[in-house]
Amino acid sequence: MTRVRIENLVRSYGAHAVLKDISLDIADGEFLVLLGPSGCGKSTLLSAIAGLDQVQAGRILFDDRDVTRLEPSAREIGMVFQSYALYPTMTARANMAFALRVVGASRAEQEERVRWAADLLQIGHLLDRKPGQLSGGQRQRVAIGRSLVRKARLFLFDEPLSNLDAKLRTEMRNEIKALHERLGVTFVFVTHDQIEAMTLATRIAVMDAGVIQQVDTPDEIYRRPATRFVADFVGAPAMSFLEGELVAPDRVRIGENTVAVPDYAWRSAPRTGSVVFGVRPERVSVAPVPGTATVAARLRGIEPHGADTLVWAELSGQRLSARLTPEAAAGLPQSLHLDFEIEGVSLFDPDSGARL
Amino acid sequence: MTPAGRAGRIGLYLFLVTTALFFAIPLVIVVLTALKDADEARGASIFLLPRSPDLEAFSKAWSSACIGRDCNGIGGRFWNSVVITALATSISLLLASLNGFALALWNLRRAGLVLGLLLVGAFVPYQIMIYPLVRMFAVGGIHQTLAAVVIVHVLFGLPILTLIFRNYYVGLPPELIKAARVDGAGFFQIWRLVILPLSLNVAIVAGILSVTGVWNDYLLGLIFSGQNWQPMTVSVASLSATASSGVPEQNVNMAATLLTALPPLLLYLLSGKYFVRGVTAGAVKG
Ligand SMILES: Nc1ncnc2c1ncn2[C@@H]1O[C@H](COP(=O)(O)OP(=O)(O)OP(=O)(O)O)[C@@H](O)[C@H]1O
Ligand SMILES: [Mg+2]
Repeated sequence: MTRVRIENLVRSYGAHAVLKDISLDIADGEFLVLLGPSGCGKSTLLSAIAGLDQVQAGRILFDDRDVTRLEPSAREIGMVFQSYALYPTMTARANMAFALRVVGASRAEQEERVRWAADLLQIGHLLDRKPGQLSGGQRQRVAIGRSLVRKARLFLFDEPLSNLDAKLRTEMRNEIKALHERLGVTFVFVTHDQIEAMTLATRIAVMDAGVIQQVDTPDEIYRRPATRFVADFVGAPAMSFLEGELVAPDRVRIGENTVAVPDYAWRSAPRTGSVVFGVRPERVSVAPVPGTATVAARLRGIEPHGADTLVWAELSGQRLSARLTPEAAAGLPQSLHLDFEIEGVSLFDPDSGARL
Repeated sequence: MTPAGRAGRIGLYLFLVTTALFFAIPLVIVVLTALKDADEARGASIFLLPRSPDLEAFSKAWSSACIGRDCNGIGGRFWNSVVITALATSISLLLASLNGFALALWNLRRAGLVLGLLLVGAFVPYQIMIYPLVRMFAVGGIHQTLAAVVIVHVLFGLPILTLIFRNYYVGLPPELIKAARVDGAGFFQIWRLVILPLSLNVAIVAGILSVTGVWNDYLLGLIFSGQNWQPMTVSVASLSATASSGVPEQNVNMAATLLTALPPLLLYLLSGKYFVRGVTAGAVKG
């Protein structure tokens, strides 16, 4: 049970700043997912929370206790690595008991805790095997088991599922979620996979280039991305972005077309001027006949995805996509009349990328 | 295969065979001579096969040949060499593993500088350090003892052995250490429980290097070991310099030489596979 507070954390390698003044508050019992592209500093931030990496400035507090200078072992954490990092010469049992062994816990206590974790993860029958004799999924379970054996107040996961195949990944995802509910302790989970982030998180922190762009619930991140980066990174197929001009606070001109944006939930003060108009593909539909709210576009391509079909269109020289049912996408004419639902629209400042 | 290719192949084998012969000739002479008796060894051409080969010379070399005034053969000195080699090798392997671990996987300040110094250490001719070491041991009161000879072997072996271990450890995943740190293990616990059990292959390579180096050494043994712990190599040299009946017994000298050279030879033959594997593994990963 730990509330984690990160204050103005800075970490750089030489001139290369990896964490730039990171502040983040993680509530007790929360499942926080750190989401971001490769190289944005997720692992570095996690290492800092774990105490594996020294930071140059800032503080880390666990329940108001400053742990910035504490060794990892003194922080009462459990950690799972992407590469599993099981000790290759030890059996699964010895791997799991390692943390208790190094502090000199009794055999009985070691055995009891290993049993408990093994039952929880259903790996009792694997305990006498060495890591080399386990499959990827089994290794991952043992690695999670190892982190559970010590009584930890905070669990850190660094892309634990990225080495598993798609099916196993879904399975382990559900197990990790169940584990979190069962243990009720704080989880911090690093991933660059947005599906993982969406399904697991109580809140997601989206990172880019050493800066946290937004911390919010998955729903909020998806529906009201705080920056253009977040809007672009979260969601597949990705949001379309069109450059335009707010001629009035409720009308965007894109080329020769004008899109009405009535009832847009402004985050900043409503304004006019140049703007980036973003729209989620599933909130774009094709109208059979031109209406007052539709805009004219040309068909540019069709991508069937099975459950739905992505339709590429060109609007005043800029591309955008619409996610339609295969039926709706069949036999579309060359010239389309597109309709945007306001719930799928986000407006961004073209310079700062911030949501308007 | 084209004619040109075949000619090239033949040339290559010719070269290899000649080279092999060149290196084998001394060994052949040693073996042939050791199997002869003293007169034959002195008289006949060194390339002739022995008329009645026997192992007389070997048993004499082992147990009754005279080294100076001491006529007990080199057998006793064999055990001196074994003790010196075993002690020096096990101590230097342990220390080299520890150093290599610290250099490769522990976030050591100035690890690069230490590494550079080690490289220098590995290639400095050790003759220039002998005199200072003699003075130091004399002051410390352990000059010409077992301790002295073991210490110098460990000192001179450490740089290269540390490099070998370090290069191997650099290839290990750093998460292993991180996981152990989160689990609460300290530096020595991680080394003992996680790293040492992983070191078997590299320890075999380093061990072979160290054993042959220490066993074959002459100079350090001559200077630092003293009479009681004189290694085999030094004894063989004294043996050949001693002519008991006024005439040199070449067959006995050769037999003693062969006995001395045998352990490292056997070691190479038995462990060549590991050796090649380990050396290349280190090279690729380093
Ligand atoms: N030891 C190091 N020395 C120098 N630069 C480093 C070091 N470790 C990390 N970096 C740099 O810090 C940046 C962030 O690395 P980090 O491992 O935190 O990324 P990440 O977000 O976890 O990426 P990934 O999703 O690929 O794991 C990268 O640009 C990386 O090159
Ligand atoms: Mg990472």
